[in-house]
Amino acid sequence: MSAEALESKIGDLFDYVQERCLWQFSSRTWDRQANIDGVLAKAADLFLGRSPSRESPEDKLHCAEASVLVSDCRERYPWTGSVDETEVLTLMEGLKSRLVDIAITQSKNRELNHHLY
Amino acid sequence: MPMVLLSCDSAIPERQKHIYLKAPDEDTREYLPVSNAATIPGTLSERGCAFCGAKLVIGGVLKDTIQMIHGPIGCAYDTWHTKRYPTDNGHFNMKYVWSTDMKESHIVFGGEKRLEKSMHEAFDEMPDIKRMIVYTTCPTALIGDDVKAVAKKVMQDRPDVDIFTVECPGFSGVSQSKGHHVLNIGWINEKVGTLDAEITSDYTMNFIGDFNIQGDTQLLQTYWDRLGIQVIGHFTGNASYDDLRKMHKAQLNVVNCARSSGYIANELKKQYGIPRLDIDSWGFSYMAEGIRKICAFFGIEERGEKLIEEEFAIWKPKLDWYKERLQGTRMAIWTGGPRLWHWTKSVEDDLGVQVVAMSSKFGHEEDFEKVIARGQEGTYYIDDGNELEFFEIIDLVKPDVIFTGPRVGELVKKLHIPYVNGHAYHNGPYMGFEGFVNLARDMYNAVHNPLKHLAGIDIRVAESNTADQYARAEANPVYQRFFDNPNQASGNDSLMRVAG
Repeated sequence: MSAEALESKIGDLFDYVQERCLWQFSSRTWDRQANIDGVLAKAADLFLGRSPSRESPEDKLHCAEASVLVSDCRERYPWTGSVDETEVLTLMEGLKSRLVDIAITQSKNRELNHHLY
Repeated sequence: MPMVLLSCDSAIPERQKHIYLKAPDEDTREYLPVSNAATIPGTLSERGCAFCGAKLVIGGVLKDTIQMIHGPIGCAYDTWHTKRYPTDNGHFNMKYVWSTDMKESHIVFGGEKRLEKSMHEAFDEMPDIKRMIVYTTCPTALIGDDVKAVAKKVMQDRPDVDIFTVECPGFSGVSQSKGHHVLNIGWINEKVGTLDAEITSDYTMNFIGDFNIQGDTQLLQTYWDRLGIQVIGHFTGNASYDDLRKMHKAQLNVVNCARSSGYIANELKKQYGIPRLDIDSWGFSYMAEGIRKICAFFGIEERGEKLIEEEFAIWKPKLDWYKERLQGTRMAIWTGGPRLWHWTKSVEDDLGVQVVAMSSKFGHEEDFEKVIARGQEGTYYIDDGNELEFFEIIDLVKPDVIFTGPRVGELVKKLHIPYVNGHAYHNGPYMGFEGFVNLARDMYNAVHNPLKHLAGIDIRVAESNTADQYARAEANPVYQRFFDNPNQASGNDSLMRVAG
């Protein structure tokens, strides 16, 4: 996959998450990071046809979020049906990087790092 | 596009930090309205007070609880029955209002004795009710009445009652948002974990941030019943006081209104390890998505699909009827905070409606991150909008319908722009599949209401008898008074802009 095609596909996924996914906008930095890491890890498994682990309550939550994300993206973006393992992992890393950038690193939300809820 | 300074705000340029017009290829890394900040002196804010956030929004919803308001009578009346949250026990919460009715002598000599007497009186008058929330208000907080000590004394005198205190006077925050926060944190720290729940299902959850506005909770409860999911605590729609003491027993927290109730969901996660799932329960596709996520969490996906299929069969044709007729309708949403991001994409996707301006009274920057991510380019995003700003924004975006509260609604009705009650609804419930059809019906009826035309006719002005609202404005000189803005060049110029 060319760098341009990769960026375009990451852009598709990023646009979807921005529009649909409330988990990226949790109250605090640590919540957002845990959700981004957790949901995208489960999504990678689902894109690859694997069964993600569902041991902890948090696992089950991230699986639930990822299942809708993957189902919607498969419907919206037919190219997701033909990506291999390396590409999925690269796409998820790229997506994670963009989400961390907009929702954490460069967020202008002044409450993100308050130690209390 | 940078932040916007409206012409009516020329004397208070600080307002520019609170108004954003989204342009192509921009996102929240560049621009985010400042919010949950003190109202700027000189602006005519539409906000409520912190006490109102605790009592009117959350506590007052409970169906079996005396709401003792320790303050002057107006604090009680103004937070009573202005929101319609029915209950399945005969609407106890909407029938009665309680106040210590503080007068000058009580302020001078202290109000604790009067509070204690009022609490006993209320319990004596309503012997079946054993639960109470006591709220401080501005004057009783200022004189330092110790409501916790009084509550403790009453509980000692009456061992069968339980009392929760909310010390959140109106002045304690920048908006009603502070009241949400104080009640949430007080409840989790003082009441959650004090009663055990009877578990009747393998699947248990709390449903947080839904206040049974015109039956929202009761409609959604039919879904949870059909799915076999036990709701331990509804925070706080149609809920009893004791239900909410058991919230620690649920396996999952499902959050709708993240602004008013996200705090307790976060604390339930932190203190009890219960995960938080945020959903949108307004909107057809959102509701289906929320049900799919809840069912995926519990591993009962097939039940969810069956429910969605059954609901779609009943309600989707009705939704589509309205969608066909509402395509291209220009909508403004001027409500509290979360409904901006709950509604903007759902009305666009499900009804073909374009949201052209949104204003939040008490949203935080998190809410603006959500709404700007979901909302359209060319739309205004406003924090703590004021009356003159609303008029100027109407002039700029020309909405066909405005979802807002009755106060602002009365203003826009004078311009003969229909409004739908975005807080307490016109004819709800609005949540769930059926609810979103109700919302569509109310929007359609508002936009096509013939009274809008008839009310604009002035028999002395022949040209005013037209269905075109902007042509009526041009023909009818009475409209000029609503645009009497000294910052604009002249009344006629303003009128011409409205006439478009």
